[in-house]
Amino acid sequence: MFAYIIRKLVYNIPVYLAIVLLVMILLRQRDPVAGLLGKNADAKDYAAKKQELGLNRPFLIQYGDLLRSIFTFQFDEESWTQPGVTVGEKLVEAVPRSLALTVPALVLTSLISIVVAMISAFNRGRFLDKLLVFLAVLGMSISFLVYIIFGQYFGAYQLSQWLGRPVFSIHGYEPGLVNWAYYMLLPVLISVIVSMGYDTRFYRAVMVEETQRDYITTARAKGATRGKVMFVHMLRNAMIPIITRIMITLPFLVTGSILLEQFFGIPGMGYVLLSAIRNNDFPVVETFTAVFAGLFILSIIATDILYALFDPRVRLQ
Amino acid sequence: MKLDCWRTEPHVPLRCLRHSFLQTFLICLLLVPGLLECKQVMADQPIVLRLPMPTAGPNSLDPVRGSSQYDNIACGYVYESLLEYEYLKRPFELKPCLLESMPEVSEDGKTFRFKLREDIYFHDDPCFPDGKGRRLVTDDVFYSLKRMADNGNQPKAWWLMKDTIVGFDDYREQQNAAEDFDYDAPVEGMVKISDYEFEIVLAQPFYRFIYTLAMFQTAVLPHEAVDYYKEKFSKHPVGTGPFLMQRWDFGAKLVFVRNPSYRTMLYPADPGLNKDGSAPYTGYKEDVELGFYKDAGKRLPLADKVILTMFAENQPMWLKFLNRELDYSRVPAENFPQAFIKRRQKLRQSFKDMGIRAVPLPLLDFIYNGFNMEDPVFGGYDDKSKWLRQAISLTYDLEEINQAHYQGINLIYDGPIPNGMDGHPEGHQVANNYRGPNIPRAKKLLAKAGYPDGKGLPELVFYTSRQPASVEMAMMSKRNMAKIGVKMDVRSVDFATLSENLRKKTCPFFGLAWGSDYPDAENNLQLFYGPFKSPMSNNFNYDRAEYNELYEKVRVMQPSPERSAMYAKMRDMIIEDVPVIGAMARTRFYLIHSRLKNFKPEETFSNWPKYLTVQEP
Amino acid sequence: MSMTDRFFKTREFRKLFRNKSAVIAMLVIAAYLFTALFVMCGGITRETCDTVVGQNKMPGFFIQQTPEQRYENATSKFLPMVQRALSRADQTAALADVRLGQERVVNKSAAQLQAIIDRAIELKNELNQSEDLDADSARLPQLKALEDQVAMLKAPLTGWSRLMQNASLVLGTDAQGRSIFLRGLYSIKIAIQIGLVTAAFCVLLGALLGAAAGYFGGWVDHGIVWVYTTFSSIPNLVLLVVLSYAFTDSEVKDTLLPVYIAFGATFWIGTCRVIRGETLKLKRMEYIQAAQTAGFSPFYILVRHVIPNTAHLMLINFSLLLIGAIKSEVILSFLGFGVKGQPSWGIMIRDAGNNGDVVSGFFWEIGTATALMFALVLAFNILSDALQDAFDPKHV
Repeated sequence: MFAYIIRKLVYNIPVYLAIVLLVMILLRQRDPVAGLLGKNADAKDYAAKKQELGLNRPFLIQYGDLLRSIFTFQFDEESWTQPGVTVGEKLVEAVPRSLALTVPALVLTSLISIVVAMISAFNRGRFLDKLLVFLAVLGMSISFLVYIIFGQYFGAYQLSQWLGRPVFSIHGYEPGLVNWAYYMLLPVLISVIVSMGYDTRFYRAVMVEETQRDYITTARAKGATRGKVMFVHMLRNAMIPIITRIMITLPFLVTGSILLEQFFGIPGMGYVLLSAIRNNDFPVVETFTAVFAGLFILSIIATDILYALFDPRVRLQ
Repeated sequence: MKLDCWRTEPHVPLRCLRHSFLQTFLICLLLVPGLLECKQVMADQPIVLRLPMPTAGPNSLDPVRGSSQYDNIACGYVYESLLEYEYLKRPFELKPCLLESMPEVSEDGKTFRFKLREDIYFHDDPCFPDGKGRRLVTDDVFYSLKRMADNGNQPKAWWLMKDTIVGFDDYREQQNAAEDFDYDAPVEGMVKISDYEFEIVLAQPFYRFIYTLAMFQTAVLPHEAVDYYKEKFSKHPVGTGPFLMQRWDFGAKLVFVRNPSYRTMLYPADPGLNKDGSAPYTGYKEDVELGFYKDAGKRLPLADKVILTMFAENQPMWLKFLNRELDYSRVPAENFPQAFIKRRQKLRQSFKDMGIRAVPLPLLDFIYNGFNMEDPVFGGYDDKSKWLRQAISLTYDLEEINQAHYQGINLIYDGPIPNGMDGHPEGHQVANNYRGPNIPRAKKLLAKAGYPDGKGLPELVFYTSRQPASVEMAMMSKRNMAKIGVKMDVRSVDFATLSENLRKKTCPFFGLAWGSDYPDAENNLQLFYGPFKSPMSNNFNYDRAEYNELYEKVRVMQPSPERSAMYAKMRDMIIEDVPVIGAMARTRFYLIHSRLKNFKPEETFSNWPKYLTVQEP
Repeated sequence: MSMTDRFFKTREFRKLFRNKSAVIAMLVIAAYLFTALFVMCGGITRETCDTVVGQNKMPGFFIQQTPEQRYENATSKFLPMVQRALSRADQTAALADVRLGQERVVNKSAAQLQAIIDRAIELKNELNQSEDLDADSARLPQLKALEDQVAMLKAPLTGWSRLMQNASLVLGTDAQGRSIFLRGLYSIKIAIQIGLVTAAFCVLLGALLGAAAGYFGGWVDHGIVWVYTTFSSIPNLVLLVVLSYAFTDSEVKDTLLPVYIAFGATFWIGTCRVIRGETLKLKRMEYIQAAQTAGFSPFYILVRHVIPNTAHLMLINFSLLLIGAIKSEVILSFLGFGVKGQPSWGIMIRDAGNNGDVVSGFFWEIGTATALMFALVLAFNILSDALQDAFDPKHV
């Protein structure tokens, strides 16, 4: 197993190098310095600025620089829009906020939708199944934006008006666990409601497929209980697609839900990244992008390892 | 989660499901109100203001790096300049802030003599020995002004000082070229007399200079703080202002607390009616009615804490205000009909019943669409290109834009000078204007310009911001322009791209706005001064000798009928040449909850937070 | 090909048509497709969608407007337009130019028109003395008279133009006075176009690459995984912003091409991963191994056995991607990077949000966009479920 992990890690290093390269090339399609200096700069200031920021150095050297800072976790480049604050500080600040929003959302969504999917799959074709699928489909058929706009209006504003005191925050963020429910619960609930439709449907399709496999019939024929069949036989076999699905969403835990953060004023990764893009905060965009890519790769490696754990045959490959 | 209920019967799981929702719901119901209660108890004693900031907020609290109105507001809490505006008086009136008295101006208007107050101390901060704030002296004033010249600080406001103080421009050149920026090197026009007295000598008697001294960019700060915090200084403001910055969540929240060592500053006293029974200033009676003088004589600041929340979107701010979580709010244009009876611009009864008060604030706005006068087709000063621009101007239906996007509350006026300033046309309109829509006249002019029905005319490329509303407005104009056969290509870009293109002079046509820094038309007229061409403030690259000459004259003149006539002449020149189509000025409506006292909204200056307080009814 | 064969086996089709909800869904989709086709053939143009047809934010059917709103509607748009035209030197031309949707100025002399306007202004001034018309029922007759005066300015509508005017006002107008109904219909075309193109392209690409990667393994697998890892490791939004930057000055900036490219570059990845995982599993199945032993070519096995056995996943993915594309378009447009220069549901929802519609209780624009989108997505979901039921080879 250990060797497998090492092999995966080594294999992914060139992938990551290529990603960082691609990111840098894409971000250099437009001149960031011109945007930074604004309209009051002349050519001399411009050249000086470029020199100061090291953006006139050969591309490969800049590339090496970025890689070094990523691999040594030294993100001490200064943000352009917020002088005196390094990119690393922004990362450290933003990541936990995004996680506080997305981790509970992912856990809740996954648990609820797997359970609902199992109920649905087991009752396939019956009224309950149809109802659940219909509800899931209904939920999926409405835009995320509509959920947010109405969620904020009814969940935060109307509810507060109705109860006569604020229940959920309409906008804003305070750190600290005690404040979590006030600021985060509503976005988390919205996020859960939004993703439940998708996940339930997906998991149900996976489960339905599994329920038709021969081994289920065999197990049932042998007298295994319903529960045992569900949890021991089926769930284990359905794990690969389930893990894949959860893993795909893992990196988005970090970028967070940009729209939710934007609407509810939670300064997480997505919020920071979006405002950096809008404000042409080049170092922040570049680093956040590269870090995001790194986390993504790590999550892929984790997926592969989990694959191998659940399905030992994969390891032999 | 109780998953084993599968074992018994297949239909129970729904109950499991309900449990999970129930649990979530219980968390909402039990946890949240409980927390809020603790909060309310804690917030009972000190006076806390909860104010909105309708943007993602300032990027830096270093005054020399600031330029926007929001930088101004945020810096106003911690920093002070030599002069400030009287809080309640209208029209605006300057008064000494860090100074003992107003500066004495020499006969020729070039030499300003200042006397600093001797009881001014900087904030207590670790950057000082023992953490005790030091007394403010002349050197601090010079140091702070010189910071505006140091390119290492990325100053945004050098244009305020350019060509103004004797020797300052040379000093800037030299020091920026040198290895280290030497703040101790002398500037000819900055003369220290003693620790509390100094003189500033101007190259010419610029009228605007006195206003510059009230702007937040010229705020006085100690070099110790800059040396101590270095590049982090912009996050650790140390000034002399009424508040200390306590916390800053970038893009989300700024928290200020009372500066305990703030000098004795008192709430202004009621001036009383003049002897003849007239009001001492415009709006005095309303101020008295609103009880603005009830706190007269109290020590400032009145509040203990200010929580400033940033809102990148309007809707959350509006909802939070309605939910009483903010003390006041601007009315987003789109919510205007909800709060007001549009016909009379009066607050709806339901809002009045909530104890809300509405204040309209006409802004010194200049919202325009500008041409690049160096553009080979649309620029130029000959008759034909002038007719072309006039024709385009005549297709514009500003009233339509006003109705669709501003609920009809904007003021539309001719020329570049906003309402309420010297030089603003009477009735907001001049006789020889090119205000649209007048399609037949536009068609005639277009034909005269050599492009009958737009034949042979290339597409007019229009740059505007990415804001959905700007794009929609551009689409309206495009539609109207199509009526005379002029094609417009709308490019919605972010502000950085727009700035870049303006700098490179590659925008033939662009939409922008200018908010006056001080209440004098010179601030707007300088936008058309030839030597200020891109990359400076003249985005139009408008350059006419007659105009430049006039500008050079007016900028050293004191207000007088002569100057007014010259302002009008310059204005009409702009209207005739049409380097710019416009203009519009917004009226901002403020809604204020009854608990917020002494609030008189103002956007030109921002020293008002210290006068505010809350009192639950 | 085997897949097409299977689709035309009548037993499955009979089964599909027995499913009532599937038939309804197909009818709904057919209606949408028909509308999209109608729009595409020029039935509703961009210009039509941009035309101002009435007063700002007029609610649609059933809604009784308050007196204040009625006053607002009567005095805005048409009345000032005519008033302005009359004050021109070239009255006739200016009057002929006045149009509000299908409404034109009635064929009367300038003096007659002026008389009507004078009367209207008089009424307006009288009404203006009222503090709050909503609470002032004594003024209602005057309001009615004002409305009548304005109606007298308009030429009576007949036949087609009347139908068009009524149709365009049926769901009200947006903040600029444009028809919500027409904009909603036009957006169907945009949605169908983006959804079909993106989903078809991405599913095919993802399935082919995923199956190939899973089946062949080795360098093919490494290559494909490398490509998708690279693409998916850049935050979607950054990729989209960079692309929209790149297209800023090109000829395609007003088309849907940037959206296609952005979606095409990212959406196939999910399908690819899932199909690859499934293929890895299928590869271990006895029948595939039997086929391998029997000496069938890898390509044959891939096409004959592997891909058909992932068809149900492809179907699910197709429906998910279709919905995903439509909904991502909404979010992109909301952020200002998506559809430009023409209406789409995304833009309608964004406008409604920006215009404070929800807060002020004006649900027509956001409601129309949501309802139209909702019905389409729902129909596609039901249909793909039914297809899965009918065509799943393992389920009889």
